[in-house]
Amino acid sequence: MSNNFLDIQNTTFVASKLNKVLDFNLTIKNEGDIICLLGPSGIGKTTILRSIAGLQKIPKGSISLKGKMLSSDNEHIEPEKRNVALSFQDNSLFPHYTILDNINFGAKRNRNSKYNFAAKELIEVLHLQGLENKFPHQVSAGEAQRVSLARSLMSKPDLLLLDEPFSNIDESLKVELQLNIKKILKKNKITTIMVTHDSYEAFYMADYCGIILSQTMKQYDTPYNIHHYPNSIEVVNFLNKGILVDAKVLDDHSVEHKCLGIIKGDFVKKYPKGTAVKLLVQPEDLEHDDKSKLQLKIIDRKFRGTNFVYTLKTKNNDLIPVFVHSHHIHQHEVEENFGIKTPIYIDHLVCF
Amino acid sequence: MIKNINYWYISSLLVSLLVALPILTVFSSFFGSTSEYYFLLKNTFLINYISNTSIILFGVLSLTLIFGVLSAYFVSFYNFPGVNFFKWALILSFAVPAYIYAYSLTAFFENFGTLFTLLKWIFGEGDYNRYIPKFDGMMGAIISMSFSLFGYVYVLTRASFYYQSNNLIEVSKNLGFSAKESFFKIILPSARPAIVAGLSLVAMECVSDFGTVEFFSVSTLTTGIYNSWLSYDDLNTANQLSFILLLIILVLFFTENYSRGGAKYHQPSEGYKPIPKIDLHANKSLFPIIFCSSLFFLSFIFPTLQMAYWTFKFPKYFQDINLWSLNFNTLSLVIIASFTLLIFSFLINYGNRISKSKFLNYLSLFSISGYAIPGVILALAFITFFSWLSDFLTLSFGILSMKKIFIGSILGLVLAYFIRFYSLAFNGIKSNYLKINQSIDESSYLLGYTKLRTVRKIHLPYLKNSIMLIGILIAIEIIKELPITLILRPFNFDTFATKAYAYASQDLLEAAALPSLFLIFWAGLLIFITSKYILSEK
Repeated sequence: MSNNFLDIQNTTFVASKLNKVLDFNLTIKNEGDIICLLGPSGIGKTTILRSIAGLQKIPKGSISLKGKMLSSDNEHIEPEKRNVALSFQDNSLFPHYTILDNINFGAKRNRNSKYNFAAKELIEVLHLQGLENKFPHQVSAGEAQRVSLARSLMSKPDLLLLDEPFSNIDESLKVELQLNIKKILKKNKITTIMVTHDSYEAFYMADYCGIILSQTMKQYDTPYNIHHYPNSIEVVNFLNKGILVDAKVLDDHSVEHKCLGIIKGDFVKKYPKGTAVKLLVQPEDLEHDDKSKLQLKIIDRKFRGTNFVYTLKTKNNDLIPVFVHSHHIHQHEVEENFGIKTPIYIDHLVCF
Repeated sequence: MIKNINYWYISSLLVSLLVALPILTVFSSFFGSTSEYYFLLKNTFLINYISNTSIILFGVLSLTLIFGVLSAYFVSFYNFPGVNFFKWALILSFAVPAYIYAYSLTAFFENFGTLFTLLKWIFGEGDYNRYIPKFDGMMGAIISMSFSLFGYVYVLTRASFYYQSNNLIEVSKNLGFSAKESFFKIILPSARPAIVAGLSLVAMECVSDFGTVEFFSVSTLTTGIYNSWLSYDDLNTANQLSFILLLIILVLFFTENYSRGGAKYHQPSEGYKPIPKIDLHANKSLFPIIFCSSLFFLSFIFPTLQMAYWTFKFPKYFQDINLWSLNFNTLSLVIIASFTLLIFSFLINYGNRISKSKFLNYLSLFSISGYAIPGVILALAFITFFSWLSDFLTLSFGILSMKKIFIGSILGLVLAYFIRFYSLAFNGIKSNYLKINQSIDESSYLLGYTKLRTVRKIHLPYLKNSIMLIGILIAIEIIKELPITLILRPFNFDTFATKAYAYASQDLLEAAALPSLFLIFWAGLLIFITSKYILSEK
């Protein structure tokens, strides 16, 4: 047995015939880490959480927590004996108890835990004031989700599992809640695995992110690395931030694109001279410069309040996103030309 | 874990087998000796039985359709004096079983009956008997059943009007329909599944009826079955007749299930608002008032008053009838049977829930057919089966005859009630159990609660009310139940129903009044307690 906090080895998770995750490995070394699992809907993220919680058995592999075997192909500790809390995506509150009773339901477990919550404190942090005496059918979906989260926290679990905890919560509150919850989890060193399909959320909350695509964990790394060093075309496509363009390797520090010209930077992975590669171009890689000779036509503009994302079309029909602040000097209309500062420099040249 | 699953499988299987016993028995005895059946077919009696059953069925369906839909329409869409009273008063008709209605009808209209006495009291001596209409035979049976069964159509139609119509009215107004057009083109058609479901229930009760047709000496399939057993001691013929009746029932059963499936889509949505009713004034409210009050009077007040009148007119039966033992017998039967039913239904439901087995779900679907089987058939099939089993065991293993244990015993009676009402209990609990999401159980486990504690802290508190209501509904049914009790009861053991029947079949209607009145009282009391639930769901 290892000294890791959580160890999932070569595990297969099965929800249905089509919905499987194979050969899954995940190690959490330190107590208190927050892990986010990212992936498209229906890929089996929820199944992973349910299996860790013990609601489903695993046909292959092993899951151990704090050195204790929870699940393997011949062992299965019942969910009530695992001290793993799972906060469901849908409303799973006990319908005949009030919100406050629901939250307190978990309180009796683990009296001697390293941390302790007062229901009142959680109610404040999660903005549930005034709902204490209501019944679950009288609160909104987003409120129910937060109550469920509070209930899970009250049970002082060794491992907290969150299934899309912010999916029904409106944008403005979401940011504050993410902040508050991260603070609570970090302060009390509650190890958490959270499932989401929102990469911004994952990047903000997580110490480590796992990207699950086509039945396997494609990449497991820090959010920074996932963004800047995606390890496969699938991950790039899934994150859907940058695009891949055809380019040719010129030398150890540059590639050439038919329209954008020479692009300099450091290769993440070396390629021999002359190799045709696909280069990742992220929205923040290009800089706006009206005086530049390189002028591209704008085909779309997304106004996001603090910034614009322009989509530019190159001569060879690549559609390139460019991110600029929403300052008037950056204001251009669709169909106009948009200048790009040359030569282009990208810190990390990610090529496939 | 594997041990656990086996346990649930076995108990589910046993209960399903038990409940399926009557059908299996009837089917196997039908195929056992075909020749006698052909002989029977040639016999004109059969044609007579079937045509009588059909005529009664047609009459009862027509009357209950008019009574049920019209009254539901009035109380759902209009405001008139007394509407809130009629809304629930009309379901009191459930407290008067058809056979007791028949006793009242006869007591009132017979020669020198209550009507005669009334006329004499008002107008003095006279030869009134010649002019008083006689409601007996087929006519009497149709009237008695219609007044005691129209409640099914009323309750289901009203629920459908009540829950679905508001949005529909708004939508149809928005589309430019007038109020009248929207009623005929939208509301009535959308209530059709509910109306058909109500009528199928009426039809099932009607063809299963034994007490009423027996009292009016109308030969139908049920009386034919009963008589071939009682008079000719011929269980085989009884079972073969049962087969024919079961085929009819089967058609009705599927009609009901099918219609109910359609009615399901009309469950109230979250944004449900009560219908704004149309106020009726003066003249316009006259017809609804007269209609509803006559219906209430005729279906409940009339039989109750008639029975009360005779009870106190012939006080000597207070001494003849051991009231204490009647009350004790009826109520203890009700309590034992209801508790057994509720406990088993809950356990099987729980087993289905935690094992999540599709097989168990199908099995329990199969085992809910018991409610569709007429009491007479059920009781006779019960006797047939246990006689066979006992003979078989005695012959093969030399085990002492165990007929006495099951036939003519409280145990047998409770078992038969169990078979008859299991679907009521099982489905009632199931529909409420399904409202508890699986993720709620899982949350409870994840918070460290064991399966048993989850049942105690989550399931039972949540289901408490509905289990109680279902128990009361079963109790009402058992109090009114006649043929099963009559055939399977221990010697000298009487309930209100069998006592009333016994006196009535000896032409001692005045003596039948007292047990009948008690029966109406208990059933009425339980309906009163559960009226809110009956009006909202069912």
